[in-house]
Amino acid sequence: MDLLAQVLVNGMLLGGLYAVMALGLALVWGVLNIVNLAHGAFIMLGGYLSWYLYTYAGIDPFLGLPLTAVVMFAVGYGVQRGLLNLIVRAPMFNTLLVTFGIEVVLTYLAQLAFSADFRTINPSYVGDSIALGTVVLPVSRLLAFGIAILLTVSMWLFLLRTRLGRAIRATAQNLVAARLYGVEPRHLYAMTFGIGIALAGAAGGLYGTVSQINPYIGAALTAKSFAISIIGGLDNPLGVIVGGLFLGILESLTALYIGSTFSDVASFGVLVLVLIVRPTGLLGKAA
Amino acid sequence: MSSVFRISRLSALLLFAAAVAMPSGEVLAKEIVLGASVQLTGPVANTGRYYRDAYQLAVDRINAAGGVKIGNDSYKLALKLYDNQSDVNLSVRQYTQLVSQDKVDFLLGPFASNFALADSAVSEKYRIPMVQGGGASDQIFSRGFKFIFGTLAPASNYFGSTIEMLKGLDPAPKSVALLYADDAFDVSVAEGTRPKLKKAGLTLVMDERYSTNATDFSSLLSQIKSKNIDAVLVAGHETEILNFVRQAKSLAVAPKMYSFTVGVPSEDFRKALGTDADYAFGMTAWLPSADLKDRWFGDAAQFAAVYKAKFGYDPDYHAASGVADVEVLVQAAEMAGSTDPAKVRDALSKVKFDSLYGPVEFNESGQIDLPQTVIQVQGDRLVAIYGGNRKIAPPKYPMPAWDVR
Repeated sequence: MDLLAQVLVNGMLLGGLYAVMALGLALVWGVLNIVNLAHGAFIMLGGYLSWYLYTYAGIDPFLGLPLTAVVMFAVGYGVQRGLLNLIVRAPMFNTLLVTFGIEVVLTYLAQLAFSADFRTINPSYVGDSIALGTVVLPVSRLLAFGIAILLTVSMWLFLLRTRLGRAIRATAQNLVAARLYGVEPRHLYAMTFGIGIALAGAAGGLYGTVSQINPYIGAALTAKSFAISIIGGLDNPLGVIVGGLFLGILESLTALYIGSTFSDVASFGVLVLVLIVRPTGLLGKAA
Repeated sequence: MSSVFRISRLSALLLFAAAVAMPSGEVLAKEIVLGASVQLTGPVANTGRYYRDAYQLAVDRINAAGGVKIGNDSYKLALKLYDNQSDVNLSVRQYTQLVSQDKVDFLLGPFASNFALADSAVSEKYRIPMVQGGGASDQIFSRGFKFIFGTLAPASNYFGSTIEMLKGLDPAPKSVALLYADDAFDVSVAEGTRPKLKKAGLTLVMDERYSTNATDFSSLLSQIKSKNIDAVLVAGHETEILNFVRQAKSLAVAPKMYSFTVGVPSEDFRKALGTDADYAFGMTAWLPSADLKDRWFGDAAQFAAVYKAKFGYDPDYHAASGVADVEVLVQAAEMAGSTDPAKVRDALSKVKFDSLYGPVEFNESGQIDLPQTVIQVQGDRLVAIYGGNRKIAPPKYPMPAWDVR
């Protein structure tokens, strides 16, 4: 019983981290209709940025997240404005090719710039844990979980309440009508992509505190984010949290009861099921 | 167009043709070309670099010492290296290219058992000897292949010396967990470890396989804690083991000891973990000892110094094994008195010499047999604990809880 409780907690906390990773991908996908295959590579870059800030400037990885996010926002804005806007209305296949290209370029540039050495962001407190009875709560994952909830709720409020957020939603729903109301899509797309990449950057910083960073972590993280976005649905940031938690708990329980090698089978199996049964995601509106 | 121009172009062409046809001094010098496909980029690049650097250093050193003496001739070594981007399929294509188009004389290996397993099919098909120091899985040598030789200690015996050590620890560990990744090397490790545990009277309470590149070990760690397991043996890859140790700390899981097949001997691994690497056990078939004499480098300690000075990081057993691969090919070619692949292959099967890596000698199936020395991270030092059936230094055991370190 203790073991089950512990594994459930592990799964929830893992799910929070998953959600933060997928948030940016889901936003960009939902609004721009771009499946950003370079998403994981941007997470990797955010991880390195946090690592450099921590190792050379002594900035705490959690306090440094806003700085990482701002830099990554600028990168994302630039990439969308200078590159992706050229193909945003092209068939999806082209955007897949271009973002795949970006992923390859970023990964190999990262190896040139940072070497293939493993990096961990390891301030003294990240390995600490809080004992709640027999259940142990790892501090770093708890913080990551808290930040995931915070970011998701702020995203949700931002899209719902602010002028920019409404403009983003309007553009996603009906581009022509939005333009008639004075929305400038090029800027708006770049803002959206920038926010998506800023979220990826923040996720990278969190990832570095619980796992390890090397230039090649991106592809697997993209795949995970992709699965979560589909399971959660693209309509609503809250769906991403649900998708992340669902996947985290599912994987942990699979590892406990069936075997660790089946974790991926379970998560991608559910992905296929969701696509068949509820193509708009667990929280998505029925099509 | 003037005819003068045309004539001059013709003469230039003739001149060029003459220059190409005229053998220069460079081309005359006899060469033995060694070919290899190594992970210079991609997820395994971190270990692949040991082989690139080791091969290059060995080739340079042997050339500087006069090259290879075959009969009355002296041959220079040359290295033809491809980057397989950590992709097994690409490495098979590159080895095929090395033998069929580049016509290299002999092959050196890639890193990792799953690569060596696939690539050795190429050396076997074209009957070109491959000496590889990157694949330890017993599977590589269980197929009756004649042209594959391996200088890494057998995977099945990786935990052998560790289990010997476990028997002598106080308090004696009773329950053991064995976790291993689902690839050729780690499955071989697990298969070799189970009977050894049984023989030592240790109970295998958890026997779990996990996916290669797994990042989350929290479920496995929670089970280790809940079953109160004394000794945890993990066969995996460096990235997985980094995650394992970090998550053990954050979940406050501290068995009496844990040991890992890879990572512990490598400087980069210990750096990434910082003080959390403390207490981790590992193993190595090679330590840079001055007792290991070598024809080209003097001894292993001198080799380690030269290597570090040249590449800026410490060599580990991967690097030493890579150097031994080049050396053993040279020894075999000199013994055979020929560069003929079949003759060199026969010489390889009989070769016996001391190197900076240890005594090199292959069994029937082409695999070396080297004992593993148990090592442990103690503070910022890597300490040899147990080897050759004797204690070398006291282990730090049992591992204390994480919050009182």
